[in-house]
Amino acid sequence: MLKNRLKQMSPGQWTGAAILILLLLSAWMAPLFGHGQPNLQHLQHSFAPASAQLPLGSDQFGRDMLARLAAAVRLSFGLSLLCVASSAFLGISLGVMAAWSSQRIDAVINFVANTVMSLPGLVLVLLVAGLAPGSFTMLYLGISLTLWVEYFRVVRATVQPLVNGPELQSSMMLGFGRWYQFRRHIWPAISGNVLTLAAFGAATSILMMASTGFVYAGLKPPTAELGLMIVELFPYFADATWVLLQPLCILLLMVLGFNLLAGQKA
Amino acid sequence: MNELISIKNLSIRSASETLVDSLSLTLIQGEPLTILGETGSGKSLLAQAIMGILPAGLSCQGDIALNGQRMTAKERRHYWGRHLSMLPQEPWQSLDPVMQSREQVAEVYREVLAYSAAAAQKATQTQLQQLGLADIQHKLPSQLSGGMAQRLAFAAATAAGARMIIADEPTKGLDTGQRDGIVQLLKSQTENGGLLTITHDVAVAQQLGGRIIVMRHGKVVEQGSASSVLTTPIAAYTQELIAAAPCYWTDVTPQQCHQPLLTIRNLAQQRNGKTLFRHLSFTVHHGEIIGLYGDSGCGKSTLGDTLLGLLAPNSGNIEWHADIPRHQKLKLYQDPPSSFSPAASLQTLLADVVRRHGLQAEQIPPLLQALALSPSLLTRSSHDVSGGELQRIALLRAMLLSPKLLVADEPTSRLDPITAKQIIQLLVKAARQQQCALLLISHDETQLKKVCDQIIYLQDYARENVINHCD
Repeated sequence: MLKNRLKQMSPGQWTGAAILILLLLSAWMAPLFGHGQPNLQHLQHSFAPASAQLPLGSDQFGRDMLARLAAAVRLSFGLSLLCVASSAFLGISLGVMAAWSSQRIDAVINFVANTVMSLPGLVLVLLVAGLAPGSFTMLYLGISLTLWVEYFRVVRATVQPLVNGPELQSSMMLGFGRWYQFRRHIWPAISGNVLTLAAFGAATSILMMASTGFVYAGLKPPTAELGLMIVELFPYFADATWVLLQPLCILLLMVLGFNLLAGQKA
Repeated sequence: MNELISIKNLSIRSASETLVDSLSLTLIQGEPLTILGETGSGKSLLAQAIMGILPAGLSCQGDIALNGQRMTAKERRHYWGRHLSMLPQEPWQSLDPVMQSREQVAEVYREVLAYSAAAAQKATQTQLQQLGLADIQHKLPSQLSGGMAQRLAFAAATAAGARMIIADEPTKGLDTGQRDGIVQLLKSQTENGGLLTITHDVAVAQQLGGRIIVMRHGKVVEQGSASSVLTTPIAAYTQELIAAAPCYWTDVTPQQCHQPLLTIRNLAQQRNGKTLFRHLSFTVHHGEIIGLYGDSGCGKSTLGDTLLGLLAPNSGNIEWHADIPRHQKLKLYQDPPSSFSPAASLQTLLADVVRRHGLQAEQIPPLLQALALSPSLLTRSSHDVSGGELQRIALLRAMLLSPKLLVADEPTSRLDPITAKQIIQLLVKAARQQQCALLLISHDETQLKKVCDQIIYLQDYARENVINHCD
């Protein structure tokens, strides 16, 4: 199945995958070449230009930009992966459960989902993250609790007609249990949409993390995080435009990569 | 002799293949012309080509003349409604689902013939009365039976006075009684006009009479008068097609049924507050073949599902004389792909069944042979085999579990007649061999009479008649 999916990928999706793989590889390789200390300050070298030692120069505290960007990319990827995995798991489980259980359970889950939907996503993230500023866990919880609703809605809508259709009916009559029915009938029907949503979800969670950093509601300095880096470098944009542009470009590339990988219109 | 439609050397091609190959025909006033052939033989494309509504991407060559005048597709458009009209297949899809019956016809008078509102209503009234539709004029299409809906579609199609009617599978999905009604209605049309009917049903061609063209894979196989083509067919394909019509099947020897499998007493079932059937009582014996006949929407499938335990009965009871496990009460579906997962190969799906019930995989090859299936088919997924092949694989999957009750819900209504005959014969043979009770749901009474030990008629909420060879 994975083979088929890879075969069906469009050139755009390949481009997205290539951007992401390149970013991830460079982020993991950077420490091996001596760029593993994102928080080490050299105040005498603030805004040092690019050189053999500092390929991307340094920031206002003389910190190695390459090391900081690499750390920020690893952090963003890690968080987005974690958020996507948990929100997809939660959304799919609840979606399948709602479609497959009694109407009352469906109504309860649907009510919760609609409540979450009615709040703007970023506000919810800010609310949860605001409970304990600077906590990675709270940020992760906030983003995951916002993102699961999309999976839930798509999965529930896809599974509902299947549950009442002949495919599952005949599978049930042949004596197969629910896990088999999920694996053979439901997962193939939803997996395409779920993967698309996952790619978009990864982009959204990266943007959300950067946004909370940008308004100082997310992680705290000196953590190397894209949103924080942007807001910290903002006062120096006239003197060191090139340094400010770096986290911006990386953020753009990551979001672009995931959106291209999703491969469909949003 | 008045030539209404004449077609010379018409070919229809898609980018990759020829769908209709240099076809010539003439439609004469007063003589119905029937095009007979299996699904996918390019019959419907011919109807679309005559109307001038071929889908984009298909190219059309050859001459089409109406009333002796050659004209382009665009010019034929001016003939729509007043001279030339098409009766589409599956009337529910061509009628407006949210418009009253009367309005659907009155609209034609107002818009095509520019009648005033009052005159249109009056003309509609008269027409509906003539067609025996006066009672349903305020109903919506969803409240009509298939036959009624087709009559209404006919009323709308001919309201503007079209004398040339092209009927594309006008009897598809109708039961035998309704089918005969529509055929009579169409036939009455030919007296002062022209009728070109496209069908795969030999019985329809027979009742219409006139001339017949037999088509296969876009080519004309045989043509001539209905009486000669149907009684002394020359081409092998025509012979096969005619032999496949249920009225020419050989009767299945009725079986002595003694051991009862389940007894149904006073069963009633409702759906959305409407009673589908009540006071239904009968006994199903081991290995018995029972036909279930009735109008579409009268609760045939519901009865099947109730016997299978998928629906709880509204009242009455179903008594099983032996304890039959869930996986030995099975169902064959009308649309074969709908009961297979498209994501795995058929081989995998069969292996799943074998593993689930601890069966022997060695059972499969002899069954494949008995059902005339090639083993290589199993490596494909359900979307890559034909409907007839998939229905046989569904039967194979059911037979692996040696079912005691098999409900076949119109298992052949989406298949062409030759395949349908084959499937029904295999089904009956398999049921007899395994001593499995078979409930065959169909809207073709002739078919049921040929193969069943007992037929249950579901009509007017009650079981009207039971023919039981066992008693």
